[in-house]
Amino acid sequence: MSEGNVPRVSMRGISKRYGGVRAIRHADFTLEPGTVHALVGENGAGKSTLIKILAGAEQTDTGTIEFDGRPVTINSTADAIRLGVQTVYQEPQLFPELSITENVFLGRELTKGGRIDWAAQAGEIQELLQMIGLPPEVATVQVADLSIAQQQQVSIAKAVAGDASVLIIDEPSAILTDTEIEVLFTVVRRLTERGVAVIYISHRLDELFQIADVVTVMRDGTTLDTYPIADLTVPHLVELMVGGIDTAERHVRDLPSGEPTLQLDNVSVAGRLHDINLTVRPGEIVGLYGLLGSGAGEIAEVIYGMRHATGGSISLQGTPLKGGSPAAARDRGIAMVPANRAKQGVFSFQSIAFNITISDLTKLGRVRGWVSPKRETALSRTLVSRLGVKTPSEKQPVMAMSGGNAQKVVFARQLMDTPTLLLLAEPTQGVDVGAKEEIHRLIEELAADGTAVLVTTTDLGEVQRIADRIIVIRDGRVHAEFGPGATQVELLAAASGATTQEDPR
Amino acid sequence: MTTTTIPVKADLTSKVKGRILPPLVTGQEYVLIGIIVALWALLGVFTPAFLTAGSVVPLLVAVAPVALVGVGMTFVIITAGIDVSVGAATMVAAVVVAKAMVALGLPLIPAVLLAMAIGGVLGLINGVLIAYGRIHPIIITFGTANLFMYLGLQIFGSSTVNNIPSTFAIFGRGEEGRTLGIPHSFLITLIVLGAAWWFLRHRPSGRHLLAIGGNENAARLAGVKVKQLLVSAYTLTGLLIGLGACFTLGMGTSTLDQGVGVGRELAVIAAVVIGGTSVLGGRGSVLGTLLGAILVQTVTSGVTQLGWPSQLSDLFVGLAIILAVGTDIIRERARKKTS
Amino acid sequence: MSASTLTPIPAAATKAAELPLLQRIVRTLLTQRVALLGVLIVVVLAVMMSLDTAGMLSGSYDTDYLASTLISAVPVAILGFAQLIVILSGKAGIDLSVGAVVSISGVVFGFSYGVWGLGLVPAILLTALTGVVCGAINGYLIAYIGFPPLIATLATFYALKSLAMVVSGQRPINSQTIQDFYSAARPVELPLIGQYLPDFPMAVFTFLLPAVVLMWLLLNRTAYGRRAYAIGTNDDAAKWAGIDTRRTRLIAYITAGGLASMAAVVIVAQFASARPDAGTAGNGLALPAITIAVLGGVAITGGIGRVAGVLLATLLVVWLNAGLLLAIPGNPGTQMQLLAMGVMLIGAALLNNYASKRYGIVK
Repeated sequence: MSEGNVPRVSMRGISKRYGGVRAIRHADFTLEPGTVHALVGENGAGKSTLIKILAGAEQTDTGTIEFDGRPVTINSTADAIRLGVQTVYQEPQLFPELSITENVFLGRELTKGGRIDWAAQAGEIQELLQMIGLPPEVATVQVADLSIAQQQQVSIAKAVAGDASVLIIDEPSAILTDTEIEVLFTVVRRLTERGVAVIYISHRLDELFQIADVVTVMRDGTTLDTYPIADLTVPHLVELMVGGIDTAERHVRDLPSGEPTLQLDNVSVAGRLHDINLTVRPGEIVGLYGLLGSGAGEIAEVIYGMRHATGGSISLQGTPLKGGSPAAARDRGIAMVPANRAKQGVFSFQSIAFNITISDLTKLGRVRGWVSPKRETALSRTLVSRLGVKTPSEKQPVMAMSGGNAQKVVFARQLMDTPTLLLLAEPTQGVDVGAKEEIHRLIEELAADGTAVLVTTTDLGEVQRIADRIIVIRDGRVHAEFGPGATQVELLAAASGATTQEDPR
Repeated sequence: MTTTTIPVKADLTSKVKGRILPPLVTGQEYVLIGIIVALWALLGVFTPAFLTAGSVVPLLVAVAPVALVGVGMTFVIITAGIDVSVGAATMVAAVVVAKAMVALGLPLIPAVLLAMAIGGVLGLINGVLIAYGRIHPIIITFGTANLFMYLGLQIFGSSTVNNIPSTFAIFGRGEEGRTLGIPHSFLITLIVLGAAWWFLRHRPSGRHLLAIGGNENAARLAGVKVKQLLVSAYTLTGLLIGLGACFTLGMGTSTLDQGVGVGRELAVIAAVVIGGTSVLGGRGSVLGTLLGAILVQTVTSGVTQLGWPSQLSDLFVGLAIILAVGTDIIRERARKKTS
Repeated sequence: MSASTLTPIPAAATKAAELPLLQRIVRTLLTQRVALLGVLIVVVLAVMMSLDTAGMLSGSYDTDYLASTLISAVPVAILGFAQLIVILSGKAGIDLSVGAVVSISGVVFGFSYGVWGLGLVPAILLTALTGVVCGAINGYLIAYIGFPPLIATLATFYALKSLAMVVSGQRPINSQTIQDFYSAARPVELPLIGQYLPDFPMAVFTFLLPAVVLMWLLLNRTAYGRRAYAIGTNDDAAKWAGIDTRRTRLIAYITAGGLASMAAVVIVAQFASARPDAGTAGNGLALPAITIAVLGGVAITGGIGRVAGVLLATLLVVWLNAGLLLAIPGNPGTQMQLLAMGVMLIGAALLNNYASKRYGIVK
């Protein structure tokens, strides 16, 4: 696989700005053939943007890209594919009703006399299947019958069949179990043996040490440097990512006491959560910290009734929570800000007032079931000003708003009543710094009024900044618990698998 | 290179079917074949006249235009589209050809070609508006249904077309309409259906139609020519509407009235969905559509032959749709749960 | 930047006030369907009235004529409202069965009022119940079993159409009581102010106005209306907000069924006969109803649609048709209506596309 010393990809002086936000300030990135190159950094460090530029989904504002020593411009995904850049997304882009073989060959079928050469495809798929670690006889199984992990394997096969010279794998392990990750690693190693250059993005740092050759660290939109992974340890890598110093400042709060508002006893969801025990007291802010796919998000969903527990019990203020539906949870005073704002949070082309009042329509009329526009306006204006939503009028549609403002609207929806328990999933994802600060202050205000708060987040700074107690979730289990003084290094190390008991490398 | 074999989940191996090609006949089709056979047997017992040529031939002749247009509709629905302008387009094709035959004495082949050309153009209009206008197919085809109807009625000019020559008797129920006892219209339908079946199964473009319905964006990323294929699917439907209009003329009398084609879009959609094609796109078969059309027609003629009110047949058609699609929904749900 | 961000909308949408007047008018016409329809109605009336003045019409296109043609607007608008609420509820909502519901409800009304001699009110209630049951079947299949709306309502279209024909023995019911019921459709002079106004058909006051008011209240002043818009806009977010999305969708189809049955009563009055194929003859009533709804600005993708839009679309179509009938007498006039409907439907859809690309939201 020697092509002299010419790197497969060389990106120099890349920068990218979205409106007023600088997603990448300055990035240099060199990818050698036949290697697995890990790209790490905290949320918002600029990894995804850099990858999107290489895959043609975004265009760089400055800098140059060279491919095998030749300067290239990548203006579209088609350009990238022509260069051999293939991406395996977290959610596989496949056709459920077609077989594995057909999915792999779709768009570049092998034909004989205008007819698909099924025999030739069946022959060629065998090698690919062997490589991705699926048995030969599954070639005709429909993709709809596969697990997500298997679909990801098929996506890799599809990428390889398209003559990938650069394969980008974006957060693959977030949704995979440990054995599935093993399979993935075997596949990745086989690819590099063929000279493919693999860019591997993951938050699970421990696994990078198993698979990657080199690692590039990004922080605040800048690439720091590229290191051979053998020269690093997990704690060292964590320090590079977070910058060594903990910048998040905390207000010291009186730790609340009293009977727990929320108590989970051995709550399980088959295959996802195992014997979760936790409590949240009135006025307490508990942070559930875990990497993508750790199961932290599912815990909140079970409490809110969006997901059914297969074992264990939940009680709220001492009485069992039957669960079953968000409506039932809301009746007990549980409110939740969901993780995916666009899909689960906002009603985009409806007004701010509509978005705020929709979850508690009983407040809108003197007679139950009726809506008084006066009350709607009054209620939503109160909340708009309380949360500092920036808008000329509560009649504006939410789709015209920034992420931070839209999130405040979804937040306001939970405050029609003061909730007994407030669940927050990724409360400040995709939110600008100012709004983030305001949302954090709001959470503290609510807690000060006695609301029990449970925040699930993949954002280290956030959990450190607001939580009175931090519970680290890993592989669907409570992995560790920290007080408010925990450092980012400690937290990330616990969440990414470098446990203190075992050898952290 | 490592040679570790990776363990496969047992449930996956159970889904292996030991073949290279897509399945020949799907579950839904087996069910339909079973139901049709059972109905024919029952009807054969209760109305002995049912299984005679005098009864089966009209049945097949009636099936032909619905199944024929159903082939095009299957292609359209597979791409997650729909065409509700079928009835109106049928009217346009039928009235133009009828008038041309009366006025010019058009012979068979040119008449058929004219009908197909008209249908094809109307289908092309639908296809272009849908693929390039990027508007939901149901809205476009509701709109063109109005336009085509206007066009058709204009050409009718507020009277029936009379003294149509019997050129299309070759597609009719009579003696001229059969070879070896098999109606020509049905035979042609079978040939078209066979070609479509082969196309959908063996041509890359056929598989691409399924891909578009399954995940249009992913199909575009994989290099599928989405727009061209959409236009082709609607144009094909149009061409078949033209041919189907000739069959309809062949079944009729020497007079054509303005009721021609009315409700055909619904009959065709019914046959397609009973046949197991999903209106959500990505899944379907033309064989199923033929079976769906046969089932509908069997119910219709069965009801008549049993001496029940003929209008009762639509009730059974409605129930057939609910049963066929309902079992499909439940089966799909079960499949999703196990995987 | 992996966070999901909302689709940014063009800056034009937020700075409406700064635009020059002409551009602002264009923008309003393109994004506010009600405004566009209002302008089109004025244009139609102006053109027709000037044709009338020029003596190019076969009858006079005056206020009396316009008022009397409103009888045909009543069922069209009510069925348009039925489509409005189901399309609004999202998940590819549509009701192909409205015509069949009209037929079966008309037969039930014909029997109960015209044959069994039930009083008018009990007969109407029984008819409404029929429509509600039909709608509940649709709604149950769609919301609880998961049928695509197109298929569920296609199936019930066939089944109900057949039932209406079989139950009635394929004969229209036109007993004396039913024939006398025509009075409900006849133009009447309003008390007190009637002499200053044209005579409106009775059904405008007894059916159309109540339907407009009730629908408007339902969609704009009730919690249910909010929930209906919510599930149509974002079904997932509605679930997270604690809304019972299945029940909400079921009720949308029930409402549509109820509305269709009321349209049936009007149609019986209009034709002084309960025809079992009233809603299914020819191309049926679903096609015009869906056309009216879409023309009225109801988005086929759900969550957008207003009562005023559907009402104005109905008036536009009815008054345009009425004019065309006078301008081009006989069949060609009737046919011209189809052309107008088709052009308006496709034109409106293309315009919507353009406007939403340019301005973001179209209501």
